[in-house]
Amino acid sequence: MLAPPFPANEARRLGALRELLLLDTPPEQRFDKLVEFAAREFEVPIVLFSLVDTERQWFKARVGMAACSTPRRISFCAHAILQTDLFIVPDTLQDERFADNPLVTGDPFMRFYAGAPLILPSGFAIGTLCLLDIKPRQLDEIDRSMLAALRDLLLEEVLAQDMLPAGGQP
Amino acid sequence: MSARLPDLLLVEPEALLRRTIALTARSAHLASVTEAASIDAARSLLGTRRFDGAFIALDLDASHADGGPLGLLELLRDARTGSDTAMPVAVMLERCDAGLLASLKQFGVSKVILKPFRARIVIDAIAELGRPVRTAQG
Repeated sequence: MLAPPFPANEARRLGALRELLLLDTPPEQRFDKLVEFAAREFEVPIVLFSLVDTERQWFKARVGMAACSTPRRISFCAHAILQTDLFIVPDTLQDERFADNPLVTGDPFMRFYAGAPLILPSGFAIGTLCLLDIKPRQLDEIDRSMLAALRDLLLEEVLAQDMLPAGGQP
Repeated sequence: MSARLPDLLLVEPEALLRRTIALTARSAHLASVTEAASIDAARSLLGTRRFDGAFIALDLDASHADGGPLGLLELLRDARTGSDTAMPVAVMLERCDAGLLASLKQFGVSKVILKPFRARIVIDAIAELGRPVRTAQG
């Protein structure tokens, strides 16, 4: 398994994440509604609004996942925040970075991951909107556009509540 | 000759559904979608803009000040807007019986989508309906 590396701007990224005051807060209908919508649209069993914290990824909103967090070292989202485009693993068992990941070999037995990084206007990636499935999948161009659109709507919601400047420059 | 994306009007009260369809259609370069949350907002837009097609959610149970649930279709087909009276129109409905279907056909509705539906159904219909419009330039 390949543990996710840390972004070069990690300390300031975490600062920007914490300024949002989202970590360890109660569920909110506006986020729950969006992940439920995504689960129906893509017909996937698990959708997460994931925030990548120091040692964990914590789920502000989730469908189909009992746990409210997982360790960052096994997190797919911690890989996804390292890039600006969608991060897609069509079949985890065919990908040497993830084939022996505990999230693949054990519950929830992930076979597919697609994460859209949530990047603040300041450039810091705080987490993802991600889709998980227990079977391999492909996303076509329209699926990818829709996931990016839902990510943009989620980010609008995040920023709508946050009247603070989003953490300076990366 | 050059191609431009078709300008479509999307009338849908549910904000998350409407915004997802509009953003996806734009980013996938299928169409330029103008959003209206209500029939009244759509009437205003149709008075000032020209569209190449429309996707309209009709609430059969709502009271409409002007012409009932099908009033907007009448408006579109009676040359009372700046848009082509023959432009393709799809409607989204909670239910549909034979009588209503006949009325919709009379109004030249080209597609009926029953609720609940996935946004992808509408986006695929936009892709089908919204082939790039050829325009002469210069």
